[in-house]
Amino acid sequence: MRAEVVYHLARRDVVKFLRDRQNLVATLVRPLLWILAVGFGLRRAFDTGATGVDFVSFLVPGVATMAVLFSSMFSAISIVWDREFGFLKELLVAPVPRTTLVLAKMISASVTALVEVSVVLLVSPLLGARIDPLGALVAIPVLVAFGMSVSALGIAVASRMKTFEGFGGIVNFLIQPVFFFSGALYPLDGLPPALAAVVRLNPMSYAVDATRGLCVGVHHFPIALDAGVVLATLGVFGTLAVRSFARMQA
Amino acid sequence: MSPSPAIEVRDLSKRFGDVEAVRGVSFTVKEGEIFGFLGPNGAGKTTTIKMLCTLLAPTSGVLELAGFDVTKNPEDVRRSIGVIFQDPSLDDRLTAEENLELHAVVYGVPRAERRARLDEALAFVELSDRKKDLVRTFSGGMKRRLEIARGLVHRPRVLFLDEPTTGLDPQTRKATWEVLRGLRDQSGMTLFLTTHYMDEAENCDRIAVIDHGRIVAEDSPEALKRAVGKDVVFVRTNEPAALCALLAERYGLTPDRTEEGLCFRVEDGEAFVVQLVSEARVAVTGIAVRRPTLDDVFLALTGRQIRNGNGEAGRAAMRAMARRR
Repeated sequence: MRAEVVYHLARRDVVKFLRDRQNLVATLVRPLLWILAVGFGLRRAFDTGATGVDFVSFLVPGVATMAVLFSSMFSAISIVWDREFGFLKELLVAPVPRTTLVLAKMISASVTALVEVSVVLLVSPLLGARIDPLGALVAIPVLVAFGMSVSALGIAVASRMKTFEGFGGIVNFLIQPVFFFSGALYPLDGLPPALAAVVRLNPMSYAVDATRGLCVGVHHFPIALDAGVVLATLGVFGTLAVRSFARMQA
Repeated sequence: MSPSPAIEVRDLSKRFGDVEAVRGVSFTVKEGEIFGFLGPNGAGKTTTIKMLCTLLAPTSGVLELAGFDVTKNPEDVRRSIGVIFQDPSLDDRLTAEENLELHAVVYGVPRAERRARLDEALAFVELSDRKKDLVRTFSGGMKRRLEIARGLVHRPRVLFLDEPTTGLDPQTRKATWEVLRGLRDQSGMTLFLTTHYMDEAENCDRIAVIDHGRIVAEDSPEALKRAVGKDVVFVRTNEPAALCALLAERYGLTPDRTEEGLCFRVEDGEAFVVQLVSEARVAVTGIAVRRPTLDDVFLALTGRQIRNGNGEAGRAAMRAMARRR
């Protein structure tokens, strides 16, 4: 595998992401809306005092992880897009292992997600959130790994889908429960047992937990366990993505 | 070591479920040839080209490209070929240059040569002044030219073109062919193309006609036309009855009376006309000799005109549609 090929393939997606100004602005503003509307709107209703941080600071790591979830999942739609507009054939006849194509896609997805995360982490202190800058830096690799595993899942879905509508339907069906049952919006301590069980099965819960632990010092699981689950998820979904992509025919 | 042929296909078959799209096809394409693959829609052209390009696995048969086995060494094959697909395959949100650059990287063109290769390819298709523009702003003909340029960047041994001129206006079709011929003459590249434009097939060195998944003829356009038909001759005269009598008596011909004059078919039209004019005592006012076209060849081989490929079934469907209206 040639690193230069991975770099150029990934750069193509990032260049297009940065070139589409309207989409770029919308993507960057959306997480901030969450912090403003949900954070400040519900601050008084949600008592997170027991955790030692105010609700807005508590919410920021959750919103950052959410941005990674949405952006990485939808970045895989570019495969459906490439199929629709024919560019996929150009990639499939290229003398490059399929694994290279998948890896490049996962990298570009996590880079675009990182652009969003950076905006969230840089702007939220201005909105009054108290984030540990060093911890936030350490959280970045965790979010990158989580983003790559989500985009891998997206690639696996996109490899089987022929239409935008099909991809959108499946992805929305996947993304909503993953987000709502992750602890991005609420603490995991003292949940009803059924909900706690679902949250424990959700890989995103561990990504949120690690990010929150590192950024604001509040976490439910040991950080090592969080990191382990995120990496294991990356391994499983990465393998799934490579297999699905390899079986695909133009 | 004798050089391997550009393409060697033996007993190639492809089955999709119950449908046998390609049934035991064999042919050889020599290095530096323009080889045309002709057939009506659904004859198996695109399926064959996809198998040659490693996009589709054959059900059975041997496929060799530049000496590499297509099923065993797909990556060696991919490095040796360029493909210009029937449908557009550019990223229209990148610039012309970015499309070519990505291609050059993916095909392992050394960094030091990249700039020169890109400029050369863009100049060849006369798009140098548009290289910084997004492809989405290009016309259909420009996109096609850019795809040809892209196919050249890594200097493949064999360039595949699946219906390269479909959907282009006549002027652009002509320009595209000039590019393709120039390419073969300058670089000696082997071109394998499919088309259903019979007049374009004349540009090929050799042609294979495929129908219902089988090859029904394989030869040069000239040889195919010779094999199939005699020349068509039209003679105008003020005394048609006398000329008719002469043709019947002397040559055993029974001419048809058409608006363009008397019409008949003979082996070598030009030689015949010379002989006729020197012998005939009838005043001839006009002569036209028409060679059989590849349309005639195709009609003779498949029993159908290529444009309305579906023949009887197609006409039945048209009638059904007309009734519904």
